[in-house]
Amino acid sequence: MREIAKLVLVLGLICGISAGSLATVRTQLADRIEQQNDLFVRGPALELLLQQPAQDILSNKLVIESPEGSALIFYTMESGEVNGLAIETIGKGGYGGDIALMLGVDLKSNQLLGLEIIKHQETPGIGAQIEKTAFRNQWSKKSANDPVSLIADGGTIDGISGATYSTKAVMDGTQKALSTFKNSKDRISELIEQANSTDKPIE
Amino acid sequence: MSRFLSVLVHGFWKDLPPFRLVLGLCPALAVTASANNGMGMGLSVTFVLIFSNLTISLLRNIIPDKVRIASYIVIIATLVVLVEMLLQAYFFGLSQQLGIYIPLIVVNCIILGRAEAFASRNPAFLSAVDGFSVGLGFTLSLTVVGSIREILGTGTWFGIPLTGPDFEPFAFMVKAPGAFICLGLILGLMNAYGRWRGENIIQ
Repeated sequence: MREIAKLVLVLGLICGISAGSLATVRTQLADRIEQQNDLFVRGPALELLLQQPAQDILSNKLVIESPEGSALIFYTMESGEVNGLAIETIGKGGYGGDIALMLGVDLKSNQLLGLEIIKHQETPGIGAQIEKTAFRNQWSKKSANDPVSLIADGGTIDGISGATYSTKAVMDGTQKALSTFKNSKDRISELIEQANSTDKPIE
Repeated sequence: MSRFLSVLVHGFWKDLPPFRLVLGLCPALAVTASANNGMGMGLSVTFVLIFSNLTISLLRNIIPDKVRIASYIVIIATLVVLVEMLLQAYFFGLSQQLGIYIPLIVVNCIILGRAEAFASRNPAFLSAVDGFSVGLGFTLSLTVVGSIREILGTGTWFGIPLTGPDFEPFAFMVKAPGAFICLGLILGLMNAYGRWRGENIIQ
């Protein structure tokens, strides 16, 4: 009995100290990792989606909370009006964990601008094919008001064979982005107005 | 003193991973498409190896025999997650290139092998030296394999163009078959040299 107690105690202590130190380092480095992410991943993705220099867009950042989870929103302005949005959401249920993706929306034509994968841990060569342009291009030029779904579910998106989980997670992220766009349109424009009036009082 | 020296140099020839120990082949094959990636992977493993050997050696009289493997894995996993976060914060490009192979350092046999074979029965300083020696040997091997594959496969070395425009790179060297062929040839040459020197190779 005493021996078992010792085993449990030692292993428990090691786990506890490990978890504690990792949590500390994580909080210390979180800001820097986020910055690097903005610079190397979000920046290029935003440039591709919204066709503007990344440093102009990265500061135009909003967070929308909804029952489905929070979504990160970037927007572009043209002559005082918002003309493009990039909505970042987390798709649940990937093979290697959650998939962060970004959906671009052109507000003038109400069409999708495309899909960019921000972060994933899918298997190289199988699930990682969600990064390929051939797969992602299926999102561009679709109407932002219509639901996007897989061919298997009666839609138009051709999934990746052998990577059902990865495809489903991308679809999950897409649904979240689309419903955020639909349900929070007013909230988004309200927040953008607020941000503009507080950020740049004189111009 | 002689023991210190023999521990310091054994990782460079006698126990050189992956060629002499034939451990850690997965990263040696998977990430050595370029010299830069090979070196990054090697240095990450070296970091984990030094600190895992040090920690395990310090705790070797506290950890009960029955839970030792579990304890080692917790310690190694902690260090690997630490490396992953540090890479993301300071070497983002490299962390993107190495991707899934960084978390996989946890199951790299070299690290668990050194913990079990050396750190669990030797004093702390000597164990750290052992980790340094084996880790640096691994880094060297991976850099060499990466260099050969990069020079032949893309005509560059650490990203610097080496060969003229007349050189047609054989692209298969940077694909999986190239890794096997390159590793196999080096392994064969090293064994032939060892046999010629009259070493007793048991494999």
